[in-house]
Amino acid sequence: MTLSPDTIVMFTLWGIPINATIFFTWVVTGVLSVLSMLITRNLRPDVPPNRWRTMLEVIVQGIQGQIAEITEGPSRHLLYFAGTLFLFVAVSNLLLVIPGFEPPTSSLSTTTALAISVLIAVPMFGVASRGLGGYLKTYLEPSFIMLPFNIISEFSRGISLAIRLYGNMMSGAVIAAILLGVAPFFFPVVMDMLGLLTGLIQAYIFAILATVYISSAIATPSSSQSEKDLP
Amino acid sequence: MSIDWITVAAQIANFLVLVWLLKRFLYRPILDGIDAREAEIAARMDRAVAAKAKAEAVEAAFVEKTRALNVAQSGIEENMRKAAEAQRDALLAEAQQRMEKDHANWQAHQADEARAYAASLHNAGATALLQVARRVLTDLADETLEARMALHLMHKIQPMIADMGRAIGHAKTAVLTSRDPMSPAAETAVTAALQVHFPDIQVRFETDAAQAPGLMLRMGGAQVAWTVDSYIDGLDVLVAEQLAHGPAQKVQSK
Repeated sequence: MTLSPDTIVMFTLWGIPINATIFFTWVVTGVLSVLSMLITRNLRPDVPPNRWRTMLEVIVQGIQGQIAEITEGPSRHLLYFAGTLFLFVAVSNLLLVIPGFEPPTSSLSTTTALAISVLIAVPMFGVASRGLGGYLKTYLEPSFIMLPFNIISEFSRGISLAIRLYGNMMSGAVIAAILLGVAPFFFPVVMDMLGLLTGLIQAYIFAILATVYISSAIATPSSSQSEKDLP
Repeated sequence: MSIDWITVAAQIANFLVLVWLLKRFLYRPILDGIDAREAEIAARMDRAVAAKAKAEAVEAAFVEKTRALNVAQSGIEENMRKAAEAQRDALLAEAQQRMEKDHANWQAHQADEARAYAASLHNAGATALLQVARRVLTDLADETLEARMALHLMHKIQPMIADMGRAIGHAKTAVLTSRDPMSPAAETAVTAALQVHFPDIQVRFETDAAQAPGLMLRMGGAQVAWTVDSYIDGLDVLVAEQLAHGPAQKVQSK
């Protein structure tokens, strides 16, 4: 049983082996991009939106609403980042129902990459919002003694993000594989259905946590939410 | 469980590419479309508000105009009513005046007819009375009416002889007029009777169709007459009473 799609080499491109994680990431990227291009082409403000465009507007405005509930001053850049996180994780997990599809989110490399992206995005949004000095000053609060703890907290948040997503997605795949050996005709279907629900929930949690981290960096410390309150 | 750092780097790059692609083909078109539609809706709302305000202004103007028209119409109706009343009063007064005039004319005409009828009746009555009297005198007393009238006139002037003598003065002619010619015997009797009192007097007999039946004697400034008018007047009164009470008596008799 293969636990990580990183070990599966799909093909070689210019001598570089392309594993399943990267390949299926491209698949998800292609699906999202092509669908977006097809739906959003020839947009006119005086023409009522069709059902596909309405679906995208509902998704985008839903993400915007969730971000607005968390941050004091939501921006489009935060929407681009957190929305892409949610859509990528959600679509990756939803495509699990396609036979032969290996969700990239079940790779620790992918979740690590996403966590690193969040770790990099948090100071970038913080610096953009507060300035470099203002952002670095947050590490010294409430006193300079807290500097190492704040640094550890910053990295532990990224690690916890990566491990949480990876653990949930991989555990689903592992449990499905185990149950496939026990009862090959019934349990995989149930587990796939459960995997869809879990995948959506994990996408929501990952995007929300990333938004909370970024908002804690761009907002006042007193208004930031605690990670402990979230599942 | 292991981390392939090359894959991690590739996934970070993939994720950033995905962020750019979705920003380019999803978020920006969708959000720009929503903003444009919201702007379009806001513009339409503004136009709707402006149109509503304009409609309200037009409605207020219409209501004011309608009220003014109603007031003007009321004034016109009042003026027309007053004019109609004045014209009606004038027409009524004119009609009443004309009716009174017609009534007066009718009454005058009726009075004329009554007078003409009374005159006609008076003449007919006088004629009938004279004919009856003449016939009765002829049949019963073998005398003419004119002779009896002359004799009656002579008896009538007996008490007035002295007065008549002073009134005659130096006149030598007496004129006796009647409606019908008198018989020669009657003329002779009258002439003889007058010349008994006035020996120098000459008597001339004349007729006048307009005169009432009877005799009229003029001598100088004296004038004595006897006609049947006094008898006819009594007949007229009797006929008038019969005419006035005739229909009522007919109804009572029925």
